[in-house]
Amino acid sequence: MSVLDAHLLARLSGVKLRARAVVEGVLSGQHKSPNQGQSVEFAEHKEYAPGDEVRHLDWKAFGKFDKYYIKRFEHETNLRAVMVVDSSGSMAYTSTALTKFDVARVLAAALSQLLIRQQDAAGIALVSAGHVREIPPRSAATHLAAIFDALENAKADGSTDLTTMADQLAEKLPRRSLVCIFSDFFDDRADALKRLLSLRARKHDVAVFHIVDPAELTFPFEDPTLFTSMEDVGKIEVNPREIRESYLEEFNKFLEQTRLACTAADVDYVRVRTDDPLDDVLLRFLARRNGGRL
Amino acid sequence: MTFANPLMLLGMLAAAIPLLVHLFDRRRPKVIPFGAISFVMKSEKRTASRLRLKRLLLYLLRTLILLAIPFALARPQFTQEATASTSRGAAATVVVLDASLVMRWSDGTSLFESGKNQAKTALKELLSEEPATVMICAKNLVPPAPLAFDRPRMLALLDEAQPTFESADLNRCLEAAAHVMDDSPMANRRIILVSALTQNALHLEATPPVSQGLKGDKIKPELVIRDVADGRKTLPNHAIVDVKAEVAVSQGPRAWQFTFTVRNFSDDAAKDLELQLKVNGEVVTKGFVDVQANGTAQKTVTHRFKTGGVMSVEGVLQHDALPEDDSRMVVVTVAKELRALVVNGAPNAQKYRDEAFFTEAALSAAGSPVRPVMRDSEAAWREDFSKFDAVFLLNVEAPTTEVAAKLTAFVEAGGGLFISVGDRLDPEKFNQQLGALLPRKMRVIKTAVEPNSPEVHTRSARLTTLSSTHSVMAPFTGKAAEGLTSIHFQRYVLFESDAAQGAAEVLGSLDDGAPAFIASRKGKGRVLVFASSVDRDWSDFPIRTGFLPFMQRVGAWLTGTLEEREDVKAIVGQPVTLAGGAQSLSRIRSPSGTESPFAAAGYGPEISAGPLPEPGKYTVIDSAGKEVESLAFAAAIDGNASDTSRHAMEALTAWAGEDVVKMAGPSGTHAETPIWTWLLITAAFAFFLEGVLLRR
Repeated sequence: MSVLDAHLLARLSGVKLRARAVVEGVLSGQHKSPNQGQSVEFAEHKEYAPGDEVRHLDWKAFGKFDKYYIKRFEHETNLRAVMVVDSSGSMAYTSTALTKFDVARVLAAALSQLLIRQQDAAGIALVSAGHVREIPPRSAATHLAAIFDALENAKADGSTDLTTMADQLAEKLPRRSLVCIFSDFFDDRADALKRLLSLRARKHDVAVFHIVDPAELTFPFEDPTLFTSMEDVGKIEVNPREIRESYLEEFNKFLEQTRLACTAADVDYVRVRTDDPLDDVLLRFLARRNGGRL
Repeated sequence: MTFANPLMLLGMLAAAIPLLVHLFDRRRPKVIPFGAISFVMKSEKRTASRLRLKRLLLYLLRTLILLAIPFALARPQFTQEATASTSRGAAATVVVLDASLVMRWSDGTSLFESGKNQAKTALKELLSEEPATVMICAKNLVPPAPLAFDRPRMLALLDEAQPTFESADLNRCLEAAAHVMDDSPMANRRIILVSALTQNALHLEATPPVSQGLKGDKIKPELVIRDVADGRKTLPNHAIVDVKAEVAVSQGPRAWQFTFTVRNFSDDAAKDLELQLKVNGEVVTKGFVDVQANGTAQKTVTHRFKTGGVMSVEGVLQHDALPEDDSRMVVVTVAKELRALVVNGAPNAQKYRDEAFFTEAALSAAGSPVRPVMRDSEAAWREDFSKFDAVFLLNVEAPTTEVAAKLTAFVEAGGGLFISVGDRLDPEKFNQQLGALLPRKMRVIKTAVEPNSPEVHTRSARLTTLSSTHSVMAPFTGKAAEGLTSIHFQRYVLFESDAAQGAAEVLGSLDDGAPAFIASRKGKGRVLVFASSVDRDWSDFPIRTGFLPFMQRVGAWLTGTLEEREDVKAIVGQPVTLAGGAQSLSRIRSPSGTESPFAAAGYGPEISAGPLPEPGKYTVIDSAGKEVESLAFAAAIDGNASDTSRHAMEALTAWAGEDVVKMAGPSGTHAETPIWTWLLITAAFAFFLEGVLLRR
């Protein structure tokens, strides 16, 4: 059971701190020290030449062959990951401590940090109303700061446009990449989700984090209420008690359809409630993918 | 339609509240920015038509609730033209209220209470210029007061009226009501009859009431009928209409059987009615009885009393709407266990030749009131007689002077003495020692025929005359008398003439006029002498069918348990006559504690009291103020009074004439019930539906 619940996380200010808290939770959940080594594997020996790192000399080989050999390691830099964060207006909704956008940002930042820790390249794409603000994937540790900054300064605004998001990502991701999408997927257009999931057809590895608020799942409103849209000027006055049953039916149908569409497209689907412990969310995601590794 | 509380109708304005709330509701809804608004919109679109219908239904239901409640509280009632009691204009009026037992019938409110209310309403509805009077109609007619205008006194009379426990004679009451209006100067006459209209109270074969005008002309009064039974076809009732108490000899000592007659005065059969038997107020046994519709059934219950004495036994039937006639009481005198010393003057080793053999058998048999203790004469004279209630001297030699004095004292103090003669008894010596106790002195032994002679059957003396008044002989009438008249007496003692002794009573005489049984009272005790032997030496009495009951009754009479008291059949509403003049009785106390004095009835020793006001056990009090337990009796309701069969309205109209009979609807709660109850039920149902709709 995680102690890192949404309320605790909300007390930490900034994406960076929150992401670090989540990462530490994830790593301690993997029973590994957060400072343990680098994610590298031995690849080959090479004869020493001046300029090589002396600390990589293989003394055992020197004992056998009486020659200096340098141990060479293969860095796993072949994984490029892009965190696509939906920054539309609806993501700003919250009935608990964190908005859906907060949760998306923390998860994206934490995943980026995990990736860069193991020498993978991570980048982000903040998408709203058809605009994409992108930070391309890099594996340098310093790149993490740029990612944190971008996420920190981002605001949830504008409409959800999954179609444009899909088209632009398709253009900007020339190589095979891991694409993690954090969104509430509130896009009414018929083929929007389908278009987004078509990234999988381009050989990208796609993971969907479907972020929902508890109030959207239970519709706990009682008195007559004027609901206003968070993305446009739409509004409607209803008696929530009268439509609760119908609303829950519609919303659950949407959740189920999204999950089925993802499963059908061979896309990882993770439903995240904003009051879920986020390190648990990541742990479950990692465990499902590759024995705890991306 | 009229309203009891018309002001309440103002409350119906509240029905506008839902509409006003809808029109002027300016409450600002809570504003919530919501991400998933598209789903809210879809849901609203999906449910819009259903919600519109639901809101409309809610509005209608709420309006209905707010209309129905004040309308019901205004207590609307329909008035019909026929209910007007003043259809002929001002009239002299007599209000006749039926006070019969059936008016106690109750389904929550008794018919009598409802009747009182209706009578009061009828009085209040009269015009102020109409003279009136009130008559409470019971079986014993109490003439009404003259016509007057003093309404408060009439209302007070109605307030004080109580229903009786007997049927009423409505025909006589109506006749009396018509007559009281004879001298009225008003041309119109009216009788308002408030009644359950039972067939036992109102006989339609009698002529309808007629009043006399001032000029001697006949006027048929208008008959306004207020049916307290509210038009019911029947008033279901079952009742115990009779009880018969008998000694159940075969069931052992002190066993009695009580046969209750149960009648069902309804159109439905009564199944498994519980019948309880109470002795002195305590339930001792229960049974069940089925009675067909409008039928009669009998139920016999047997009970063995633990002790003797005067017992009040009550059968209580499962209660119905008229519980007063569901119980019936009878007071019985249960024989106490008494001891008799049987002195055997001629014991014999051969049982059947023993002097006391047959007497012992008779007194030991079931139903015997005494328990015999057998002694030969020597042992008997040593006994303390005070431990016994009766002494049987069977062919005993004359006792010593000392024993004779003991026996005399025993009898004077209330003991019973039976003497039978035989070859051991010397009349002369016996007269000497016990002459003072004997009803008549003995003379000589007469032999009608030698006991072993072949002419025994032809020449034996026979009983020819039996007393019909003495209680010992009461069962020996008709065929049962043969049990005694068939006895052959070969030898018997003759008595001196009656003039010498006085109050001796001959219970039976032989064909030569000689007494066979003589009884008398001595002091507080009783003596009975049998002129022959109680073994087979001098007569064949012991083998005759009359022997066993005769000896048992003798035992009972000697011990005072065979009371001469006749069963008292007391009926509520009638006077009771008791044969107790000798005991200087002063008054009787009713079940509710009221006391009334006795008066001499006719020229005999009988005294009477009453009429008895209520059913239950009555106790008799002597002049010293003590209760005479043995004279207690129970009064019962006349079975016919329980008959709840009613007249059909058409029959009443045909009897009195269509032009004079008016039906008046009952006022008060009865009439209002159907309308406002239904309105409230409608409101409650609407409230329930509203709740259901709100939940959905």
